[in-house]
Amino acid sequence: MTSRGPDGTTLDPRALVEVISAPATRSVPDDARAAVRERLVAALPQALGGAVPGGQLRLDLAVLRRAASNGYAEPPADEPFSWRPSFVRRSLGLAAIDACLDRRFATPAEATPVVADEAVAAWARSGWRTFHWEAWYSALPTGAKASVVAEATTWATSLWSLLDWVAFPTRPTVGGPGDRWTFSGPRPLRLDGRSELQVDIATDPARRPAGPPGDPDHRLALVSVAGGIPSDGWPTELGFVALVAGLRRRSLPVPARIVGLWPESGEHRVLEVDSRALHAAVDRVLTTVGTLSGRHGPVGPATGSNVDDVSGTGPGAGS
Amino acid sequence: MQALDDRPTGDPVASRYSRPTGTWQPLAGERLLDRLRFTGRHRPEADPELPRALRAVLGDGRPGDGVVARAGAPRVVTRDVVTRLLGQGPGGAGGCATPTAPLAVGFLMKALFRQLNVLGRIDDPLADGLAALTVDGHAQLVDWITRLAPADLAELSAEVDRQASALARRWPTLSPCWLPRTRQTLRAPLAGGAVSLVAQVDLAIGRPAPDRASVGIVELRSGYRRPGHAADLHFCALVETLRTGVPPFVVATYYSRDGELDVEPVDGELLLAAARRTAAALRVLHGPADGPVPVGREVPRS
Repeated sequence: MTSRGPDGTTLDPRALVEVISAPATRSVPDDARAAVRERLVAALPQALGGAVPGGQLRLDLAVLRRAASNGYAEPPADEPFSWRPSFVRRSLGLAAIDACLDRRFATPAEATPVVADEAVAAWARSGWRTFHWEAWYSALPTGAKASVVAEATTWATSLWSLLDWVAFPTRPTVGGPGDRWTFSGPRPLRLDGRSELQVDIATDPARRPAGPPGDPDHRLALVSVAGGIPSDGWPTELGFVALVAGLRRRSLPVPARIVGLWPESGEHRVLEVDSRALHAAVDRVLTTVGTLSGRHGPVGPATGSNVDDVSGTGPGAGS
Repeated sequence: MQALDDRPTGDPVASRYSRPTGTWQPLAGERLLDRLRFTGRHRPEADPELPRALRAVLGDGRPGDGVVARAGAPRVVTRDVVTRLLGQGPGGAGGCATPTAPLAVGFLMKALFRQLNVLGRIDDPLADGLAALTVDGHAQLVDWITRLAPADLAELSAEVDRQASALARRWPTLSPCWLPRTRQTLRAPLAGGAVSLVAQVDLAIGRPAPDRASVGIVELRSGYRRPGHAADLHFCALVETLRTGVPPFVVATYYSRDGELDVEPVDGELLLAAARRTAAALRVLHGPADGPVPVGREVPRS
């Protein structure tokens, strides 16, 4: 199917892949990245409420979006977590797409139930939970399993239909652990960024496909998939994904491009990442943190912060 | 592997008739599938003017234009909201305040239809359906069903068994290559997102193509045929066209109560009529007496 950009122009699946995997047009120099980080670190203590201790705030793309739409409500602390099909669809759907890219299956509809059963079998053999929902899923009756598989199949198929997968110069990396960055202080903050696809791109238009990670010419384009429709704040939302990746992966270049896909509405947005985009994302983070921590108004610099970079998010791809 | 748009494999004449006659039998298997994919019309090529024309009817331009001009906060407009705004029916608004047996059968059959399309089988209709409703967050309805008096529960179970066994017997196996999507949500933002037209369809089949109508939309109904069912599907076709720029080639309602299948090819006239009806609802929505409009997910009706 085609997807529509902000100006109403449409791209077919092949053209959309070409946009995603085109050579990088912008970059963020190391000193600019450091400046972005320093500004964030300096401003966070005040945004978080000064020295008032509190529980850790966790900020991800979903919270960022909900906070902007005034729909954010912190979940009651005593509400026990329970799995639902909608919590599983992303990780199971991505695993199904990954299996299709491995040529094990032709479509997500074929892959999803098998991948779910394989995940349960692997967990039963080793006790290792790749997705975390294996035990829950294995105990479900048939009708409930069908609902889980159906939810993931529809999610994966909607994404599968948007892109011409054979048009990628190199095989995209599907899912995987997200990026996590933690700010330690009286009230800690955790930024969680994740993307559904990571695509190798080059900076040199003459080089396609790009070299391997570590090659000076190598950059990443990230694809972020969301439900609903893009909001007016999409540039800073996509910038948030780049920001967290840039904070977390300090030894690698900042992702050069973030492409947002909204399959339900057939929309796409493209953000070429530069230092201005990262600073705009910092502004959005500070505003959101201020809202969530009950403080409003301008956020100024502060001192005494202590930052930890936390590597990895464990084996779970999350949902 | 056959494509969804292949020529019919069953009797092409007999397969066009699904309405009851003296010796009428519900379509099943390949013939039912043929009825869905062989509408008797050429599948139209994508016409970039069509979505523009539909948006013009809906008054969609830059924010502040047309019938969506007076929208304040973003609004979600579903087919149920359209129906209610036009005073053409009860139009569910996201809740299930008073469950009834027909409503419960409707929920259960939609869950079983989804299961059949995904797993290819239904084991124990009532148990499978209740399990799906439970995991999908319909605990209140499940509680209502399980607390029914034994005689009422037996009657409901018998009806679900009857419809489910007939459905499993007749509904064709869909090739995965047709990319079946169950309970797919379709959204079309208007006026820069001030209003979203939203539809959830029981089943969409066919690989979406950028240049040609290639998708079929199927709704399952467990109750009697009603005039509003067609309008509901036309709304879905409208949203799909606005969403992808290409209309579905067919919309269909499958009545699990008796196995009837209503099939309607989609053309520009159908879509323009759906756009006019939706525009009329939007005028009500944004009229002087604009009150709060409950919105939310759609409620399966029997």
